[in-house]
Amino acid sequence: MLALVGWLGLGRVLAAQPETAKAPSSSIDWNKERQFWSFKAPQAQPRPVVKNAKWPRQPVDYFILARLEQKKLSPSAEAERRTLIRRLTLDLTGLPATPEEIAAFVLDKRADAYEQLVERLLASPRFGERMASVWLPLARYAEDQAHQVGNDSTMFYANAFRYREWVMGAFNRDLPYDQFIRFQLAADKFPAAKAEDLAALGFLGLGPKYYNRGRIEVMADEWEDRVDTVTRATLGLTVACARCHDHKFEPITQRDYYALAGVFASVKMVNKTADGKVVEGKVPADKMPADAVHMVEEGTAQNLNIFQRGNPELKGAVAERSFLKVLSTGEPKPFADGSGRRELAEAITSRDNPLTARVLVNRVWGVLFSKPLVATASNFGHSGMMPTHPELLDDLAVRFMSGGWSVKSLARELVLSATYRQSTREDVKKSAADVANESLWRMNRRRLSIEQWRDSVLAVTGELDLSGGKSLELDDAKNLRRTVHARISRLKLNDLLMQFDYPDANVHAEKRSATTTPTQKLFMLNSPFMLTRAKVLAERVTTDASESDAASIQRAYQLLYGRNPESAETAAAHAFLRKPATGEVTRWQQYAQALLMANEMLYVD
Amino acid sequence: MPFSRRQMLQRTAAGFGMVGLSGLIGSRAFAEGATRQTHFAPKAKRVIFLFLNGGPSHVDTFDPKPALKTHEGKQPSGNLYKNYKGTGFVPSPLNFTKHGRSGIEVSESLPHLASVIDDCCVIRSMKTDVPNHEPGLLMMNTGNLQPIRPSLGSWALYGLGTENENLPGYVVLRPSTKIVVGPALWSNSFLPAEFQATSVVTADMQVDKLVANIRNAKLNYEQQREQLDLLGTLNRMHLKARGNDSELDGQIKAMETAFAMQKRAMQTFDISREPAYVREMYGETAFARSCLLARRLVEDGVRFVSVYYTTGSNQPWDTHSNHDDGHKKLCVDADKAAAALILDLKRRGMLDDTLVLLGGEFGRTPYAQVQEKAKHGRDHHHTAFSYLLAGGGVKGGMTYGTSDEFGMHAQDNPVHVHDLHATILHLLGLDHERLTYRYSGRDFRLTDVAGNVVREIIA
Repeated sequence: MLALVGWLGLGRVLAAQPETAKAPSSSIDWNKERQFWSFKAPQAQPRPVVKNAKWPRQPVDYFILARLEQKKLSPSAEAERRTLIRRLTLDLTGLPATPEEIAAFVLDKRADAYEQLVERLLASPRFGERMASVWLPLARYAEDQAHQVGNDSTMFYANAFRYREWVMGAFNRDLPYDQFIRFQLAADKFPAAKAEDLAALGFLGLGPKYYNRGRIEVMADEWEDRVDTVTRATLGLTVACARCHDHKFEPITQRDYYALAGVFASVKMVNKTADGKVVEGKVPADKMPADAVHMVEEGTAQNLNIFQRGNPELKGAVAERSFLKVLSTGEPKPFADGSGRRELAEAITSRDNPLTARVLVNRVWGVLFSKPLVATASNFGHSGMMPTHPELLDDLAVRFMSGGWSVKSLARELVLSATYRQSTREDVKKSAADVANESLWRMNRRRLSIEQWRDSVLAVTGELDLSGGKSLELDDAKNLRRTVHARISRLKLNDLLMQFDYPDANVHAEKRSATTTPTQKLFMLNSPFMLTRAKVLAERVTTDASESDAASIQRAYQLLYGRNPESAETAAAHAFLRKPATGEVTRWQQYAQALLMANEMLYVD
Repeated sequence: MPFSRRQMLQRTAAGFGMVGLSGLIGSRAFAEGATRQTHFAPKAKRVIFLFLNGGPSHVDTFDPKPALKTHEGKQPSGNLYKNYKGTGFVPSPLNFTKHGRSGIEVSESLPHLASVIDDCCVIRSMKTDVPNHEPGLLMMNTGNLQPIRPSLGSWALYGLGTENENLPGYVVLRPSTKIVVGPALWSNSFLPAEFQATSVVTADMQVDKLVANIRNAKLNYEQQREQLDLLGTLNRMHLKARGNDSELDGQIKAMETAFAMQKRAMQTFDISREPAYVREMYGETAFARSCLLARRLVEDGVRFVSVYYTTGSNQPWDTHSNHDDGHKKLCVDADKAAAALILDLKRRGMLDDTLVLLGGEFGRTPYAQVQEKAKHGRDHHHTAFSYLLAGGGVKGGMTYGTSDEFGMHAQDNPVHVHDLHATILHLLGLDHERLTYRYSGRDFRLTDVAGNVVREIIA
């Protein structure tokens, strides 16, 4: 029996039965469930009354300040300008500000200097690259499969990068987020989508394919990937938990699951060229036409039977393709247009959907403040966390939708806020009241992601190559491009990415862990990548400012940290540089490496 | 700070990288690791898993089946075999004789393991879900058929934490880069990165070839120390100006740990420090050297070591043709090295709390697979196969479970992979039902919804 259970995919059943396990679907009180906070439509909120009326700069600030005042806390002072531009540039473009940009901003006397800076950064093509770094792990972006039989690469995605570039472009042109989702699910079904938007379908197309495809139980595993990725990424719901039984925590039934799985059972996966032609047959990755992206297209529409206990042999009632019941009014209406992808996309991006905008707003908040308002960013259900600031989340979500789903506008409001502009400075008294900084009495100090850190290292040595296109291996010594353009593998995730917390590309990644390990430091200490960067940096700062060590030290500090060195730092540098080198590595190279390895390079205030 | 570092490590028991986090009282370290004490007193503190990639034949190793001789040529019956076109049952050409005080029958292809059989428990009733390599490998290594779950080693490290902060907690040794499925077999998946494996290709045993970035190619120890002193000075100034932020402090400590680790790893990973007689005892093949390295690693506090038996072939034990010859050849070094490891651990007093496992993703068919222009082979077989366990609180000199008279199906006391996993965790002091990780809205565990501890084999 055990063998049968595993073979038939019961493997997905919830491990631990919580005490709060839900009763079977028949006893779900749908009206009551629809009153759960995240299943109710978000409401525009009255602007909270605050005492310190001078502080707020943006609507969000009233919500933050009201909470602070309630807790008898006050916000921190605004960060100094050089801190702000470093923070802002890393947040919006993933790159450090150059010394020239910093100097210009510090000296900019215009009243709207900060606003001008924000506009410049939002308009930069680097913005889309930075946002793609956020989106791609949510879409479990990868270019191959977790297994390979022999040298068979016919299931690898040679031109996956075209989907990645589409994502970057979409953020750069500020494609409204509802369109962004609609195109990724069904660009082929929306007249508004142009030919170049077909690449968006890679969102579904670039998912994992498993061994022994064609067997019903293996296909069932693949459908689970689609359901899981789509629902967690866009709705913040863990629908895939309902594959074998009704969800233990959420008002999501097996019928809901199979109603969505049926959509993905009704599509075909094809390699399609830019002019819409399907590449026939099994084509190895290196023979794939350069413009062919793996994507979905309509197949034979079919409804699935519910697989009882997840077992394809135990067919239960037919689940008509349709949307989740808890997010529908009354009974969900069956999808009638082909696979139903278009209707699914419309249901997800409907103005009436209570989740989609909240989930996105929460993610962007998390990117800019390091902690999302709902800590479980892909789980807004009963088993997820409650928002720390529910009214703020609602208000942002409503205005996000009514403002046209503009991610740039959302990011703009957040970075223009007084909340965002606070210093990260520690305050013992405030810390005692709120050590986790949940109320945002200061800005969070943040560690850079591997993408931001590696890109920063290349930027400060002057080597960063801003070109994109077909992926390069990150291990390739000649690869000086932004990290987001690197090849992402399900088969073997690049060691550097893995060591620095880039998530497993086999599944949707809700968040990154932030580990601090000696292997990360060994990379900094000894890798050929770092030794080479140190050499280049040493050359750069000693040539650029050749007159004296002091000038070179200053130049290095400006490039790396966006500031001038303190006298103690200069003294330490002089003491180190003064001694003669004993080996082939110059003192300057050793010093440059120390600066690149330093915490100040890895964190942003 | 109310805890010493040692206490901290004991209390939190997170994995590799813990030291770097030990300053993070109140934040992530506690959030992730606070309840990492074992659930009950462990019998085993560490595990070495010797994995025979491709699936070794049970009827040629630990499960004698004289009936195959008397029924040679007879066709297997049952649904699984309706498309079978081979020549029927085929006996092992190998003699089985009783060994040790326990009198366990072992094939003549394993003379060294036979000599330590009184320290071993042979499970003859193993079974898994699928007779295909990929899902079979994934099941045995991660408890799931698809490559989306954490490995046994990552779970173990998550449950136990590290014993030596200067070494990785979970190390994978494999003689070649070629291996079916690949890194998904030792993935930490959704478990935090501190529970990830350090994968080491043991083709070249020079230490700086084994461990990435373990040595600076240009700077010697003193030069690097000087550089780190400068870095420490700069980092501490940065730290002081930031209210002694414990996370920044953690980074500083991790850097020092990495520095210390270079020296320690250079020693631990260097099997040339072993005396000649010890190296000779293991043998001079890549698998044998990996077994010896595994012993050095666990001796220095690595929690979980997997040694995969790969060669130029990505699954050498997959003997679809010329099985009788191929099997015998493979046994030569596998037998010698595995037995040497058990003996070596015993001599050092480490076998009692080190669990050694030997087996593959499944067994091989008791009936012949016929190939053109080659002698017969044996196909994949998942409904009965054998596993060898030694040490770590497992009873020595016993067999557990049986397969039927032909070795076709597990018969008495079947042990599914989930049961084996539950038992391994149990020996480590971990309740497989309570070792859970909340991810994506639900609590995951290695054994999913299954698994029964095989209590009868526990000493």
